[in-house]
Amino acid sequence: MSARDEFFVGFFPVPPGLRAFLLAAGALLILVFGAVGWLAATAQRAPEAGGFRFDLGEQEVTGVLQLSPYPLLYVTEGNERLPAGRTMMLSGGGKFSPPQAEGMDGTLVRAKGVILKRGDLDMLQIGWGPEALTPLEGAAAIPAEVPLGRWRLTGEICDGKCAAGAMRPGRGLAHKACANLCVIGGVPAVFVSAAPVEGSEFLLLAGPDGGPLPEAALAHMAAIVTAEGEISRRGDLLVFRIDPASLAPI
Amino acid sequence: MSVAYIPVQWNRFKYWYDAALALAVGLYLYVFVELGPGLLGQDPPVTPQIHNARAFGSCAFLMMTVILAIGPLARLDRRFLPVLYNRRHFGVMTAVVAVSHFLFVFGWYFAFTPLDSWEAILFSNRAYGSALGFPFEALGIVALISLLILAATSHDFWLSFLTPRIWKALHYLIYPAYAAVVGHVTLGVAQSEPLGFPILVWAGALLVAGLHVAAWAHERRRDVDSGAGSWEAVCRPAEIAEGRARVARLSTGERVAVFRHEGRLSAISNACAHQNGPLGEGRVIDGCVTCPWHGFQYRLEDGCAPAPFTEKLPTYRLRLRNGFVEVDPRANPPGTPVTPLEAGA
Ligand code: FES
Repeated sequence: MSARDEFFVGFFPVPPGLRAFLLAAGALLILVFGAVGWLAATAQRAPEAGGFRFDLGEQEVTGVLQLSPYPLLYVTEGNERLPAGRTMMLSGGGKFSPPQAEGMDGTLVRAKGVILKRGDLDMLQIGWGPEALTPLEGAAAIPAEVPLGRWRLTGEICDGKCAAGAMRPGRGLAHKACANLCVIGGVPAVFVSAAPVEGSEFLLLAGPDGGPLPEAALAHMAAIVTAEGEISRRGDLLVFRIDPASLAPI
Repeated sequence: MSVAYIPVQWNRFKYWYDAALALAVGLYLYVFVELGPGLLGQDPPVTPQIHNARAFGSCAFLMMTVILAIGPLARLDRRFLPVLYNRRHFGVMTAVVAVSHFLFVFGWYFAFTPLDSWEAILFSNRAYGSALGFPFEALGIVALISLLILAATSHDFWLSFLTPRIWKALHYLIYPAYAAVVGHVTLGVAQSEPLGFPILVWAGALLVAGLHVAAWAHERRRDVDSGAGSWEAVCRPAEIAEGRARVARLSTGERVAVFRHEGRLSAISNACAHQNGPLGEGRVIDGCVTCPWHGFQYRLEDGCAPAPFTEKLPTYRLRLRNGFVEVDPRANPPGTPVTPLEAGA
């Protein structure tokens, strides 16, 4: 009787001719799983460099808090990494804006946090607890916003935190829902431009009224789009007031 | 063969089967999770939670692909049949791996947010109307729920509770689930990762589709097309080996298995009363047709399982005309005795 003719019933012992065949099939199965695991693992794109800079330690700086369109800190007294004159985007832990900042728009504060950085895109994640963001006596001036005119840009709308390396990869369509959550939670949204604008590859995003991104713009999150809007400079940070009606996928 | 519901028992083969499966899955995850970052040598690496989610997700896809390949493979080459019987263990393991994928995604992408995680996974991306940036997570959830239903109803209890017909229909859910996973990948990771991974997925889907077509074509060729008419021809008597059957598709769409036992021919329905196993691929043991799937037995002369069992199959009438065995396509009620046909050599 050839192996092909071997007859097997579920709960009878396996006939010897079939046994060799099944052993070979089992070995092949294991081999295929190993090989496909290797192929699938090595098919992953290298994420862009970037991430939390715990190695630099906790940063402690003084500055003026601004809450629109997203939490920002205009540094007045800094350190060598975050010198005076910088405008830092702020986030809280997770997909939140720093909860301590509520009601402190325009206040002079002492802020403690850790830097997130990818290229020239960086952000300060404010620590937990009230001591991470404390109001100070007195006030400090912030530079006036400088209008740079109306622009038409090509690029991607991202959440600034993941794009700076809080997640790797932190961009792209597979990350879209997560990016929406960050922005809904109050994490600064950024536009990563295909061509640098005034020397910067990314711009803080705002709605046409200067407030947070409108819902209509969230629909275009993570896709490559063209968009028009007014660009202005706040300290060393560019702000792109996007016109949602001009958003178009390419 | 059973009086009431009898679960199919564990045996040594099943232990070996499960061991091979566990080894295969373990190897996949080891290579992807443990060796992956080193093989890639990326600095900084992919976030570990995301890396794990990818490992478990792609492993579940491969498992579904193999599960769906086993059916047609067994139809093309009967030596794969033993692998088919224990597909349920494979299915349950797949559901476990898929749930792990979900938990990595859910506990990372959709956690630490002001929204409830369920609300977040379903509604934070509402681009349900566009392929670009489609909320592919929803497709993954559809597939996951299907896998969980299949795993939960995989036990023999459900088979007897739901009846084999409904159970089998329910378990076709694996096909839409598989399609949902292909969509989940195509609209998700394929839109932002290099082509390597989506190509693996599409190749798997093509393989499954190709094997199904091949098995279908194979069976068409093998089934004797009996041709419509009041009696339908099956084959010449000499084409049926002792103890074996020829299967014919009747004009009614039913399949009939014509067996030879001790030189005489009898015809019964090809579908086993247990789980619709292919009786025509079984053989006569101790005077009874024995189903190749789980060994249920039926007497040839009346389609009844021997006492104390109570299963009954429809029988068919046979006659010889012009050197051909012909079958009356109107099936007799299950358990109807039919005198076997003297067929000579
Ligand atoms: S299908 Fe289970 S014994 Fe026939």
